[in-house]
Amino acid sequence: MSTTRAIINARLVDPASGQDGPGGVLIEGGIIAQIGTELDLDAADEIIDARGCILAPALIDLRCAKEPALTPDGETVDTLCAAAMSGGFGTIVLAPNARSPLDKADGFAGMSRGLAQRGVRMLSACGATQGLAGEQMAEIGLMVRGGAVYAGCGDRPIRDTRLMRRLLSYTSQFDVWLSCRPADSDLSADAVALESDWSARVGIPSEPAVSERIAIERDAALAELSGGKLMIDRLSTAAGLDALRHVRGRDLEIAATVAVAHLTLNEVDAGGLNSAFRMDPPLRSEADRLALVEAVTSGEIDAVVSDHRPTPFDDKGEPFALAIAGTLSLETLLGAMLGLVHDDELSLLDALRVLTSGPADLLGLPQGRIAVGAPADLILIDGDKPWVCQPDGFASARGNSAWSGRRFQGRVLQTIVAGDTLYNP
Amino acid sequence: MSRAEFSYDFPHRHLVSVADLNPVDIQIIFERAAHHLAANRTPDKRSDVLRGLTVLNLFFEASTRTQGSFEMAGKRLGADVVNFAMANSSASKGESLSDTARTLAAMKPDIMVVRHSATGAPQFLAERTGLSVVNAGDGMHEHPTQALLDSFTLSQHWGEVGGRRILIVGDILHSRVARSNIGLLNILGAEIRLCAPPTLLPSDVDQWGCDVFHDLDEALTGCDAVMALRQQRERMSGGFVPSEREFFHLFGLTHERLEAASPDVLVMHPGPMNRGVEIHTKLADDPEKSVILDQVESGVAVRMAILELIGANIRKEAVA
Repeated sequence: MSTTRAIINARLVDPASGQDGPGGVLIEGGIIAQIGTELDLDAADEIIDARGCILAPALIDLRCAKEPALTPDGETVDTLCAAAMSGGFGTIVLAPNARSPLDKADGFAGMSRGLAQRGVRMLSACGATQGLAGEQMAEIGLMVRGGAVYAGCGDRPIRDTRLMRRLLSYTSQFDVWLSCRPADSDLSADAVALESDWSARVGIPSEPAVSERIAIERDAALAELSGGKLMIDRLSTAAGLDALRHVRGRDLEIAATVAVAHLTLNEVDAGGLNSAFRMDPPLRSEADRLALVEAVTSGEIDAVVSDHRPTPFDDKGEPFALAIAGTLSLETLLGAMLGLVHDDELSLLDALRVLTSGPADLLGLPQGRIAVGAPADLILIDGDKPWVCQPDGFASARGNSAWSGRRFQGRVLQTIVAGDTLYNP
Repeated sequence: MSRAEFSYDFPHRHLVSVADLNPVDIQIIFERAAHHLAANRTPDKRSDVLRGLTVLNLFFEASTRTQGSFEMAGKRLGADVVNFAMANSSASKGESLSDTARTLAAMKPDIMVVRHSATGAPQFLAERTGLSVVNAGDGMHEHPTQALLDSFTLSQHWGEVGGRRILIVGDILHSRVARSNIGLLNILGAEIRLCAPPTLLPSDVDQWGCDVFHDLDEALTGCDAVMALRQQRERMSGGFVPSEREFFHLFGLTHERLEAASPDVLVMHPGPMNRGVEIHTKLADDPEKSVILDQVESGVAVRMAILELIGANIRKEAVA
């Protein structure tokens, strides 16, 4: 669209440049044309006075899921987009999972083209192995040609070390990340919780935190050997973080993501065996959570992901150990992260960095920053507005939220993508 | 300085590796091969330079063209040629290679042409038997006569192979053809490029004196010749690429992709060829570009040259 819009008088927060102060932007043709307090407003067709609001880059999520097409009452591309807009996301990436392995090259390009026309920028990753079974490589090359932005292994780690080596080696030629869940397949088999006092007491299958450490050490060694780009998919323990620090000294390309659940919840939340808190990876200890929050501040975490996972109501109707894992997260992610800011656990710049320029830089995307020439993907936030999480009011088709009933402070007022306001309740 | 001026004779009694050859050896082989190539096109192909010598074709791995080519080469030179298809023989009854070798040597052949799945088997047989050995392919190690016939084919088109840009694309990791060709083309001073997915390249390939590519269009730029290799499924354990169609889309040779190469680019394949995997079927059959059948023809001539030169050295030793 060709209209010229200005947003003025905002608190402009841009993690890419480190800027946090009064300012605004002038948007021309979907691109940020000017930044600052002295904009050329004569050219503007529309001026938004954002006094008292935070102006930040629209959020980017590297890991969310819809449900398979034609699932009754399922999360569709439409409901997922609506959830993303209301959550402040300008770009989301569909990641493969067992229900939607995204492992077929046939039609991948067509799907990518379809996803690109949704207002919210929807991208897709591809499954790295056929059916995510961890046995045969999927047609990663054809899917990357069809628009896949990275290759992922879903929730199941790659058990076969030789296959992991070949996957890292094979993906290196396309310069895409191989995203892999860090867990030792045997140590973590069937686990639904962290090995801890609590899980031992309630007697549910659990995994030791070192499972993550072992996997990171192995996969990093293979990345170093093969020249592949390894994305640690949802780091969740302090032990894993130790391993990440250890391998970062070596000559390899490695990135790490954390799911918002592991920054804002812990195993005590799951203490009542409420199936809403059944996660994969499982919720960890408070010490793990605090270590991860510190790692966001120190810049060791590249991106925080929603891991938005709509599940049929019936499967959350099973007891904790049998329930399908996952939670909705797109519409609560910003509220949960701002909670860390209000609690003085994180600065606003650090909280937004892992949601904007961090993930953008991993994928080489131009958005995720407030810079002249960058796409005008922006959000306006009321940083203090209180609200209560009520899944019934979600745009998502499902209601499985681990944050149900939580009180949040801070809410999206507008989501703007390519200069167009997509969400303005 | 030409060879005649310092009177250099082909010194070898074996051909185990291209690394044993120097540029003058190669020149001698090519001169003799050119002679045989011309003679093979006449109705009067037969000579008797190897009369009285016995050539033993010892193929522990299945082969059609190489074994046939060696058999034809030996017969056209007047040798007695005996084929031992070892794939279904005493070796499969538990006999060690060492015992097989001694048994066969006792029959007093003169030249053993050996193909074996194990790297080093031809060298091993040469050491154990004292017979002249020609390596017809050992594991993933070497296939020197294939490399010689490939360069000979190119030299027939160009005169000189040195200075030309030659691309090898496909399964380099499992290919003895690639290893011998890289060695020989380096000796001849050609510019060698390799193109394959990283899973089908050896881990130390950056030490091989070649430019390595993963993008075929980039690799083909300005190439004078391109050699496609098939995936050696018989030497593979597990999957190295996701599918044949993905391989074709990323690494398959087609007319369109060859636009980036030199206009007179020559297309080669050592066979057996998998049409629609490493090469488009129309390109394989294009007489303007494809020299695949020229390679087969050169193969007989080059193998005649090698058997002849080695035979001459065997006779010389016998006289001495």
